Formats: sequence, C-alpha cells, structure tokens
Amino acid sequence: MIHTIDLVKEFGSFRAVDNINLDIAKGEIFGFLGANGAGKTTTIRMLCGLLLPSSGSITVDGLDIAKHSEQVKHKIGYMSQKFSLYPDLKAIENLEFYAGIYKVPFKKALANIRDVVDQFGLTDILSSITGDLPMGYKQRLSLVAALVHDPPLVFLDEPTSGVDPQARREFWQVINDLAQTGKSVIVSTHFMDEAEYCHRVIVMQDGREVVLGKPAELKDQHQAGSMQELFLRVLGENNAKSV
Amino acid sequence: MKSLRVIASFIKKEFRQIVRSREMLIVLFGLPAVQLLVMGFAVSNEVKNLRLAFLDYDRSSSSRALVQSFNTADRFKIVPVEQDARAEELISSWQAQIVVVIPPGFSQDYLSGKGSSLQLVVDGIDGNSAAVANAYVAGVLGEFHRRNLQERRIRTPLSKPIAEVELISRMSFNPDLKSSVNTIPGIIAVLVTVTSMMLSAISLVKEKELGTLEQLLVTPVKKQQLMAGKLVPYLIITLAQLQVAIVMAGLIFKLQLAGSYWLLMLFSGIYLFTTLGLGILISTKVGTQQQAMFFSWFIMVIFILLSGFFVPVRNMPPAIQWISYFNPLSHYMTVLREIVIKGSNLGQLAKEFWILLSSGLIIFSISVISFRKRI
Repeated sequence: MIHTIDLVKEFGSFRAVDNINLDIAKGEIFGFLGANGAGKTTTIRMLCGLLLPSSGSITVDGLDIAKHSEQVKHKIGYMSQKFSLYPDLKAIENLEFYAGIYKVPFKKALANIRDVVDQFGLTDILSSITGDLPMGYKQRLSLVAALVHDPPLVFLDEPTSGVDPQARREFWQVINDLAQTGKSVIVSTHFMDEAEYCHRVIVMQDGREVVLGKPAELKDQHQAGSMQELFLRVLGENNAKSV
Repeated sequence: MKSLRVIASFIKKEFRQIVRSREMLIVLFGLPAVQLLVMGFAVSNEVKNLRLAFLDYDRSSSSRALVQSFNTADRFKIVPVEQDARAEELISSWQAQIVVVIPPGFSQDYLSGKGSSLQLVVDGIDGNSAAVANAYVAGVLGEFHRRNLQERRIRTPLSKPIAEVELISRMSFNPDLKSSVNTIPGIIAVLVTVTSMMLSAISLVKEKELGTLEQLLVTPVKKQQLMAGKLVPYLIITLAQLQVAIVMAGLIFKLQLAGSYWLLMLFSGIYLFTTLGLGILISTKVGTQQQAMFFSWFIMVIFILLSGFFVPVRNMPPAIQWISYFNPLSHYMTVLREIVIKGSNLGQLAKEFWILLSSGLIIFSISVISFRKRI
C-alpha cells in the first residue's frame, strides 16, 4: 500500500529522518514508536505529502507521491497530533466541509463514516459546536473527519495522547475495525501498551530505524516480556552501539 | 465544475464562521456606523461658532452698525469684552478666536471716503481654520461696505457713482462648502481598505495557528481553490459593508450619490484585488495573527496618510506627491469622491481605472505566486 526507499529528511545540517525503508501492506496496522524527536512525526508528514523528502522516494498504491500528489491525497486520511477542526463550526459542519473538499457528496460521506460514528457514540453530539466538546470527543471527531472520503490509507499521529484509558481502548477497537475493512492504518504513539495492538512496529531513534517487525517476534528476539521492556532494551543497545 | 464545488464548500464554511462570530457582525455594521458618525462629524474643516470680540475705540453709529452686521451671520458668536482689554490677551486666554479692533476716528475716515483701516487679530494655532475665519470676516466686511455705498448713492443721487467690482463666486458640486461632502467618501474608502485588508491578513494565519491549514494541506484542495474560497467571502463582506456605509451616509449626512452606483461597485471590486492581495501576502509571510495585524496596520497608516484623506495630495511636497501616486487608496479615494460628489463617468476616470486595475493585477499575482512557494 505504501512503500518508501531510502527516505531522508534534512533540516539544514540536521538529519531528522535517515534512510527509512518501509513496506506497509493493505489492511495492516503499522506503528511508529520512539521518543519525542525520534523522527516519527517528520516521517508521517512526508508520507502524507505535507513535507517533501530531501531524498528517497515514496509510492502510495503504486503512485509516486511527488508526481501524483493530488491522486495520492485522495487516498489519504490524516489525523494530526494537534486538534485541527474548526472550533466555531458544528461537528457536522466540519464533516460537511471536509466532504466538500474531497469532492464527496455529503450523503455518501455520511454513509462512509456511519459505522465509526455509531461505534464512537457521536450521533448525539453532531449538532454541537466543535469547540465546546470535551477533548475525548474532539479526538474521535478528528478521526471521523479523516474518514469522510473513505481513504484506503489512514495516518494517525499520536491519536490517543491526552485521552483516558477507557477511550483509548475504544479508539483502538475502531482502528482494528478499520484494518479489518482493508484500510492500512499508520499510527504513531509513545504508549508502549498500544504498540501491542499493531501488526508491525518500527522503533525509531535519531531519525533511524532501530528495529522493525511484529511485536511478538521482536519481544522474542530481544527476550523482552513487554513492549515497554523491548523498547528500553533496544534503545539501550542502540545507544551502546553508537557510543 | 467539481472545482467550483470545492470553492463553494469553502465559501459556505467561511460564511458559517462569520455568522457565528460576533466580531464579524461588528465589523460589518458597527464599524461603518462608528466610523461615519465619529469621523464624519469630527474630521471637518468647517469653521463654525467663531468667538469674535470687538474692541471698539470709535464708538460711533458706523462702528456699531459694523458690529451689528456680524450679528446676523450664524458663523460668529460675538463675545462681550471689556473695552480696555488687549487683543492678544483675549486670544491667549481663549476668550476670543478673532478680535476686530476698530480704531478711533474710523467712522469719520470711512464716511469721508478717505479710506479707513481695521485691525484683525486671528488665533493662528490652526492655520487652516485661521485662514477660513479670516475669509469669513472679510466677507462680512465686504458686505457691510457694499450696503453702505448703496445707501449713500440713494441719499446723494447726484454724486458720481463709484465703480464697483463684485466677485460672485459659486462653489461647484458643494455649494455650502460642507466638509462632510468631501469627508464621507473618504471615510468610506478608508473603511473598505481597513476591512478587506484586515480580514484577508488574518485569514490564513488564523488557520495556521489553529492547525487547520495543515489539515487542509493533506487534502487535494488546490491553492487557487483555497485562495478563491478565502477571498470571495471577504470580497462579498466588504462590498456588503460598503452598501451599509452608503445607506448610513445617506441617512445621517443626507449624502446623495451623484454618479452611477454600478460604476462605484466596479471600482470598489477592482480596488479590492489590491487590498485583499496585500492581506493574503501578509498572511503568507507572517506566523501569528499579531504579526499580521502589525503589518497590515503599518501599511494602512501609510496608505491613509498619503491618500489625501486629511491633507489634499496637491498640498504635499512634490516628492511625497510622487510617492502617493503609487498609493492605490489615493486613487480609489479620488474615484469615490468624483463619483459620489461630481457624478463622473468611466471616461473621466479612465486614468484611475487603469491604475487601479494594474495595481490589483500586480499585487494579486504576487500574492498568488508567493502563496504557492509557502506551501
């Protein structure tokens, strides 16, 4: 579904992303793990076309993102780290606006998101002013807004930061269901328990890949009992190597 | 067609936000009302209720008749003063703005035809008003003199008639020399500039601050659609505000539009390309709404000061006149005054038309190009 070759992003002399090679399949939940500043968000921003890579290539569904940016953008749903819906519009008006931007008739858009809206229990708050909603609802609404055009590829940049554990579980239930319907979901997180829900994860540090693989296999390889332990262990090893 | 639908959803969204924000309604209706009411009455170079004092050292029937002749004009308020006061003191103590000193022997000299002189002491702090006041006094004195000559001719019909030159001046387009006639179109021009530039300067920066711009950039929306979606609503709002201002000017100041309404709208539409373009340009260059406000105020103050709003452009030094030639607001203000007061047509305003059109095209293109680079 999405494929990168030697992806590099430099800001001046600083290499924020260093030679990342990814191959993410249809229906896969792929997790980006790493401390703040590890290069997760920069990578995701390149993958969804917000930033141009300094070198390397990205193809989405066989299309080069640099050459077919508009077609690719129709295939992408993006939920930013920062809440970014219009606070002065009603929830439903935000959805209507994004449907319009993606040239999807509003009825079709509502059909596209009906299941997720039900699952999240958002039906009753759709006519509320977005800015008045509690944080948890805002976050759910952001995810819904990223789905109005039924994209095969969904990027979620730290979707569960600042959300209570109950709501986080609910969030992951929805992510799971999205993958079941064949969507690829790319998630960045710093909650290690969440990494367990991913089909595959990449652990990044200083812009580079430290390890990449299925959570269970990675834990076996590094004799770690949990993702938390794995994370600390691989980063420790990596630091030891680079010293 | 689909592209138009994208723009339409933008416009719908912008209007929803506008309707919901109280600030915007204030911009639409409050601003024109306040600007017109406050500035319309305050920015005036009409001189009324001049405090006038007489120091009559002659005390004759002629001198009393002279004082009397000022009583009828409503522009003057005659203040009673002690006859041993000094003119300068009356002025410096704010008792009077003008002091007319009638010297002893005035009546004798005047009636004998020898010629007589009066002294006029005027408060010159505000040079403009002083000149105007001076002219008013001269006018009343001239009238007094003419009346006297006529009376004398009736009394002594055999005397040789004195040749008389009478200057009859008529003020075209503004016969009463009402200041508001000139000021109101100026205020409207300023209003259009301020509203359009502020709205567009804040537009993109606000979305940048909210994070919604980033969200828009992952969508397939094109830059042209984004710009059109932003600017069309602002164009409509500013033109709506212009209607409100015109109606208010009509109601409050009885200002009648002498020229074509549609010509006024045409010029306003063209002019708005310049101000909206500048606003968007500011919005793409700055990072916060505060910076956007700062830059747009900076530009607007220069625009307004060099526009001929307070001081006519032809009264400025040649170098400044040359600079103000490049000030679009100056041309738009000229156009508004010409259309509103004189009823000029497109042919008479051809020069302004081409200047405003090219300024709009140039500035708007620059803002479109730099907008692309940013994203």
